[in-house]
Amino acid sequence: MTEARRTFQQALALAALSVLVAAAIHFPLIQRFARGEFRETFFVQADYPGVRLVTLAEAEDLWRGGETTFLDARAADLYEEGHVPRARSVPAAEIGTLTPVLVQRMAKEAALVVYCEGGDCQSSLILAKRLHDEGFKDIRVLSGGWEEWKRAGLPEETGDDQE
Amino acid sequence: MIRNRPLLLVFRIVLGGLFIYAGVVKVVDPLGFAQDIRNYRLVGQSISFVAAVVLPWLEILAGAFLIAGVWRRGAALVITGLLVFFIVLTLITMARGLDVDCGCFGSLSRRSGWGVIVEDLGMLYLGLCALFSKQDAQR
Repeated sequence: MTEARRTFQQALALAALSVLVAAAIHFPLIQRFARGEFRETFFVQADYPGVRLVTLAEAEDLWRGGETTFLDARAADLYEEGHVPRARSVPAAEIGTLTPVLVQRMAKEAALVVYCEGGDCQSSLILAKRLHDEGFKDIRVLSGGWEEWKRAGLPEETGDDQE
Repeated sequence: MIRNRPLLLVFRIVLGGLFIYAGVVKVVDPLGFAQDIRNYRLVGQSISFVAAVVLPWLEILAGAFLIAGVWRRGAALVITGLLVFFIVLTLITMARGLDVDCGCFGSLSRRSGWGVIVEDLGMLYLGLCALFSKQDAQR
């Protein structure tokens, strides 16, 4: 057997062994996945009791109620092109620097709705987790994101975040 | 290529150790790692889950086998293959302008960028030395 062929076989055997070990060790987790958990998101609700996914209708109700702060997790230039009226801009790249500002300015009990582009964007969830870790207790993630809000013809605003 | 056996052993221990460490921090939080993979926005939920469950064990086993010197070339091939994949993935992520955690070392991960590529290139050099060195006896 040539050296190269033996090397490939060893690598394949290692890959197969990894699959077996992973299947054995993570069997309970794999069962949960097979039952349909984690199909939308990997975050475990029990780990983030203050974070909930909401539909567009719920988000719209909250926005019309006027007491919920909307946070836009998209890049600043996308925010400037159009965003949910009164939403604050908290781009994913600046979560680290902007989160302390939010912590200072807002009560931990404040109701928050976070959103990003929509589709498979993840930054709203990242921001939600971060805010949860900072102690905020009511964070809702608009899973359809800006795309869904805009498609529904709901009000929008342009320009940068003035605050 | 380096032929100094003690030096090659050090390379194997350093590289194998890094991979074992990287694997262990992911094994303890598979869902967190699955989310890291998902954040790259290249694959869907199911593939992210499968990769998050299997990849850390591949890192641990390849690292352990490399240090032990068992199936050394096979382990080195897995590690260099993974590193090339990580480098390409990081370049694609940068080109797409995504700002994500690399997910390399669990909570110690940094943002995907040139720093990650330099680290990976350093490890790739060690991996290639282990893969192509003739000095170690094969088992």
